[in-house]
Amino acid sequence: MNQMLEIKDLKVSIEGKQILKGVNLTVNKGEVHAIMGPNGSGKSTLASVIAGREDYTVDNGSITFNGKDILELSADERAKEGLFLAFQYPVEIPGVSTINFLKTALAEIRQYRGQPPMEAKDFLKLMKEKQKLVEIEANLTGRSVNEGFSGGEKKRNEVFQMAMLEPALAIMDETDSGLDIDALRIVAEGVNKLRTGENAFIVITHYQRLLEYITPDFVHVLYKGRIVKSGGRELALELESKGYDWIKKEFPEPAV
Amino acid sequence: MTLTQEKPDYKRIVSDGQITAGSGGIIGKWLGEVKRRLGDSAPELKQIQNNAASEFTKTGLPGKKDEDYKYTNIRQYLQEDFIASKDGLNIDKTSIAPYLLKDAVNLVFINDRYAAELSNREMLPEEVSAGDLFATPDTLRDKVTDNFNKAAGRSDNPMALLNTALAANGFYIRVPKNFSCVVPVHILHITSGDGKRLYNPRNLVYMEENSQLTLMESYYNTGKGRIFTNSATELFIKDNGALENYIMQDEGAGSMHNDLRFYTIGRGAKTNCVTVSFNGGMLRNDCNVFIPGEHAEAHLNGLFILKGNNHTDNHTLVEHLAPNCSSKELYKGIIGDTATGVFNGKIYVHPQAQKTDAYQSNKNVLTGDKATIDTKPQLEIYADDVRCSHGTTTGKLDGDALFYLESRGINKQLAKKVLLQAFAKEVSDAIKNETFRAVVERKIDDYTA
Ligand SMILES: Nc1ncnc2c1ncn2[C@@H]1O[C@H](COP(=O)(O)OP(=O)(O)OP(=O)(O)O)[C@@H](O)[C@H]1O
Ligand SMILES: [Mg+2]
Repeated sequence: MNQMLEIKDLKVSIEGKQILKGVNLTVNKGEVHAIMGPNGSGKSTLASVIAGREDYTVDNGSITFNGKDILELSADERAKEGLFLAFQYPVEIPGVSTINFLKTALAEIRQYRGQPPMEAKDFLKLMKEKQKLVEIEANLTGRSVNEGFSGGEKKRNEVFQMAMLEPALAIMDETDSGLDIDALRIVAEGVNKLRTGENAFIVITHYQRLLEYITPDFVHVLYKGRIVKSGGRELALELESKGYDWIKKEFPEPAV
Repeated sequence: MTLTQEKPDYKRIVSDGQITAGSGGIIGKWLGEVKRRLGDSAPELKQIQNNAASEFTKTGLPGKKDEDYKYTNIRQYLQEDFIASKDGLNIDKTSIAPYLLKDAVNLVFINDRYAAELSNREMLPEEVSAGDLFATPDTLRDKVTDNFNKAAGRSDNPMALLNTALAANGFYIRVPKNFSCVVPVHILHITSGDGKRLYNPRNLVYMEENSQLTLMESYYNTGKGRIFTNSATELFIKDNGALENYIMQDEGAGSMHNDLRFYTIGRGAKTNCVTVSFNGGMLRNDCNVFIPGEHAEAHLNGLFILKGNNHTDNHTLVEHLAPNCSSKELYKGIIGDTATGVFNGKIYVHPQAQKTDAYQSNKNVLTGDKATIDTKPQLEIYADDVRCSHGTTTGKLDGDALFYLESRGINKQLAKKVLLQAFAKEVSDAIKNETFRAVVERKIDDYTA
């Protein structure tokens, strides 16, 4: 079966306020989906709920990943099943070295999958290889997780972690924002190298630019908690030139 | 000159127990027990101990009504049925081995008593003297005992008075002028036995001008009884000396420990003190730093990890008496379940102590819903050209950081542990000795599980 992620009529609220109001989305192996939409429309909420953040209440609907109902799984179990979220706002964790953090994460994931622990030298080799892929400086990965990193460095570190953990499905939440022009190209090329036909990507972005590098198979517009429009890559171009006003007109505040 | 501790010509220094005031109280009983065991003390100390005993009979044990013991009611913990005498040494060389530290001089005290046969002192440089304070050879005695109670005697703390009155066992270390003791000295203090016992180690460290020392202390309890350890240590660091002092308390939930420390820091001298406390039924640490010398530097670091209904109370008092000195304090607490933590840090800057640079920080993570911390910074500043500040934060583990770790495949429990270890690391990193730091890190690992 090709289907990887299936979201059906997902309704999610936080503190009594409904943010997602019936999201449907299917992602198959090998696909790249872009999700666009105005600020506050619920893109990050969707990403967090898929990743397993507990602060949200799922009022309705289902999320299956590789045939499993992942709403039943904790965040770490979802990661072990092959999900990855590149955060819009990566968190600084003073005192936790990036190396130990990734070593722990990989060990946990491998154990879950019944794989033997990685040899120290293989781990270091993997680190080197992936550092090269996203051209992240070794001194950054030698520091505490994201501590004192610049905005762009944090984003690059997200992609580095993604490369290390090799997820089946990666959700990249505005990974492009904060990256300079060269960094954007490098990171995008890195992502392209990670594409295998077996994995899939959901790319949340406000800009067409990233999609020039990472060609999406589908573009969705999330507006007020619903996917109101889906199309091919040309939809992104259309949004870039026309903005969201036409969408907003087409989908006025839905009656509750 | 190498000292061995078993020669009969050593003098025991102990109170004679002749208390003039209120000798019928608990102090009289405890003193009686101590005296029966040890006989007569040197006359010059007899006076000091008698005075302390009669002062104590006036103050009694501190309790809730004393502002300094508001949250630690010693009176409730240490009651009359505690026995101030020791059991035999029921620990042998094999069982002591795991507690000893490699590449260090190990001086072992079991139930207060110096255990020469369990200690290893081969690495002790002959310039340095160390051993049982109350069996000090006459040749050394003046140098050591001249300073007995010189610092603790300034305090009217009842537990200090009690310790002085009952003092009969403990360690001393003397490092001569211009000598750097590269081999660290480890004091291993183990209590054991059943029943209710009061132990009262009294220690003295005397570092002459321009000398250096790393002193590491571990406190364990292997017995099943109710143990109350009332320890007091006077540490004199003369001009330009440097002391690294690490203390690890891991005596278990059934034990109680009141630890008093008195540092006197000379001109240009430095001290770095790290106190790490685990899982104590009742732990009270009083760290007093007296800075009469100019350009001196004191660093105090503390970590306390509590669970169950543990209680740990860290009191610090830094007294700046000379200009151009600095003191830095960092105390961190991880408080779980229904445990209670206390931090009270007092910085006192005397009028003449201009250009003092004093900083104090207390950070706590509450991991239990019913855990509490009472934290109180106290700055008393009587000089106008100083830099003094304090900060305190208390909170739960950062939810964003937890989710970040979990989203990478690290389960919640392990993620919490990773964050707690990162929190604790700032304090354990202040331990420069690798062996001791490794022991502490292993315990942090255990206690954050
Ligand atoms: N913890 C919360 N409490 C209350 N409201 C919240 C909370 N988290 C998110 N929201 C609200 O949910 C809505 C959707 O937020 P979300 O972050 O998902 O938007 P987004 O589409 O990612 O926006 P952006 O493009 O700015 O990143 C916003 O109105 C936001 O204020
Ligand atoms: Mg967002």
